[in-house]
Amino acid sequence: MDSLMEPTLYTIKGMCILDNDGNRILAKYYDKNVFPTVKEQRAYEKNLFNKTHRTDAEIIMLDGLTCVYKSNVDLFFYVMGSTHENELILLSVLNCLYDTITMILKKNVEKRAVLENLDIVMLAFDEICDGGIILDADPSSVMKRVDLRNDDIPIGEQTVAQVLQSAKEQLKWSLLK
Amino acid sequence: MSSFKRDNKEEDDGGNPWQNLEKTSVLQETRMFNETPVNARKCTHILTKILYLLNQGEVLGTREATECFFAMTKLFQSKDVVMRRMVYLGIKELSPIADDVIIVTSSLTKDMTGKEDLYRAPAIRALCSITDSTMLQAVERYMKQCIVDRNAPVSSGALVSSLHLASTAGEVVKRWANEAQEALNSDNIMVQYHGLGLLYHIRKADRLAVTKLVNKLTRQHLRSPYATCFLIRIACKIMEEEDASGNATEESPLFNFVECCLRNKSEMVVYEAAHAVVNLKRTNPRELSTAVSILQLFCGSSKATLRFAAVRTMNKVAMLHPPAVNACNLDLEGLIADSNRSVATLAITTLLKTGAESSVER
Repeated sequence: MDSLMEPTLYTIKGMCILDNDGNRILAKYYDKNVFPTVKEQRAYEKNLFNKTHRTDAEIIMLDGLTCVYKSNVDLFFYVMGSTHENELILLSVLNCLYDTITMILKKNVEKRAVLENLDIVMLAFDEICDGGIILDADPSSVMKRVDLRNDDIPIGEQTVAQVLQSAKEQLKWSLLK
Repeated sequence: MSSFKRDNKEEDDGGNPWQNLEKTSVLQETRMFNETPVNARKCTHILTKILYLLNQGEVLGTREATECFFAMTKLFQSKDVVMRRMVYLGIKELSPIADDVIIVTSSLTKDMTGKEDLYRAPAIRALCSITDSTMLQAVERYMKQCIVDRNAPVSSGALVSSLHLASTAGEVVKRWANEAQEALNSDNIMVQYHGLGLLYHIRKADRLAVTKLVNKLTRQHLRSPYATCFLIRIACKIMEEEDASGNATEESPLFNFVECCLRNKSEMVVYEAAHAVVNLKRTNPRELSTAVSILQLFCGSSKATLRFAAVRTMNKVAMLHPPAVNACNLDLEGLIADSNRSVATLAITTLLKTGAESSVER
């Protein structure tokens, strides 16, 4: 029975982002007893993707885990927890992950944008969940701690923008000295 | 694969800058970390590559990891925020593989006690990933301070790290109960949740202390829905234990608290409470029907997750007390054709347990 289980803050078993071929863009597993090897993790991700990519059904039970998910253009976001977990808690984490990334990418939620901002996306993962414990589930507060870049560049002007960025940085440093 | 010309071109000249990375060449690039002044942009890029490789399942040997780790320590010279944060991530990822990781203790302690809040919270978490019980005593004073810090992420970071450390350094962490207690009074919902989590972990072996804690908290209103869900679980555990030992009283204040949570304004808490009520052995039919009617309401939600949660719980009720679910048969029948297959399957199996001949026709 669930009610006899020891209450614990270790709620999240894993979080991942897959692309539209089911390949891993970023994945984190927090419980050593759940998919200890990368091979098992990948197999699970493939299985999960096959079961979820055509339907927008939001939740699935698979291999002893409850998994909530969301997709956009060519990206799939998943948050996994034990089958005894409160599904709405898992959903709140998924929403936080999704909304934070939407804000980071300035609404341009697609694979290329994620890859271009991979460092910030990694930081977002780290700020939402720490070793399986939900650290924060409020996208705007996660965002505040993660998006530390000081550029407001429209995508597509990356090269020009990068030059500008380094100029900005140099100016900042010379002012600080 | 997209067929747009532009995309193909991008693919070729690095549309996915992380594709086809080679471990050895990436590790070579870490030489860049030794340069002064540090080129933050380039170094961040290299750090991202390393973390990406690790995330894709690339395995680093102890020597490789150690060399990489030591190269990374050079980056503490620079104050670039994004890079510093990536260094913390790198420390956490490499610390289980690399040797002599305690070398960064003083750098991290400095960041953790420094003025920059953006460094402090993640520095605590990184520090705790390299700390063992003997070293923990050296930083104990700072940990205590951080737990009661006014900055919420700092406090949360310290509480969560303490919980991780509790498995290896339980005795030291036990001494932080007063600080955890103070965090429990925080206005921040996450700090309150983490505070309760740590406090419960410290006290859980002492039944009397847990009972006292829960009795006190059920009388005051917790702001955090996460903390409330957690409290419901502790309360249920105590009640089950009381029942098992035959000490149960008719009117339990704990049960009243759980029932009260059915009227909470957070859906998460309402569901947690309904789930708890139907799973408790002591629940009488009247109380059961209140909880079931809430689940019935959830069955009509537009959120698939909520419908799933409701029907999954009903499925369980149907096993224990089939008559209680009869009233919801119509709602369950409505879910048979649900767009979410798990919901539909659960609805059918639930109906099989409760349905009568009369409903087969429909």
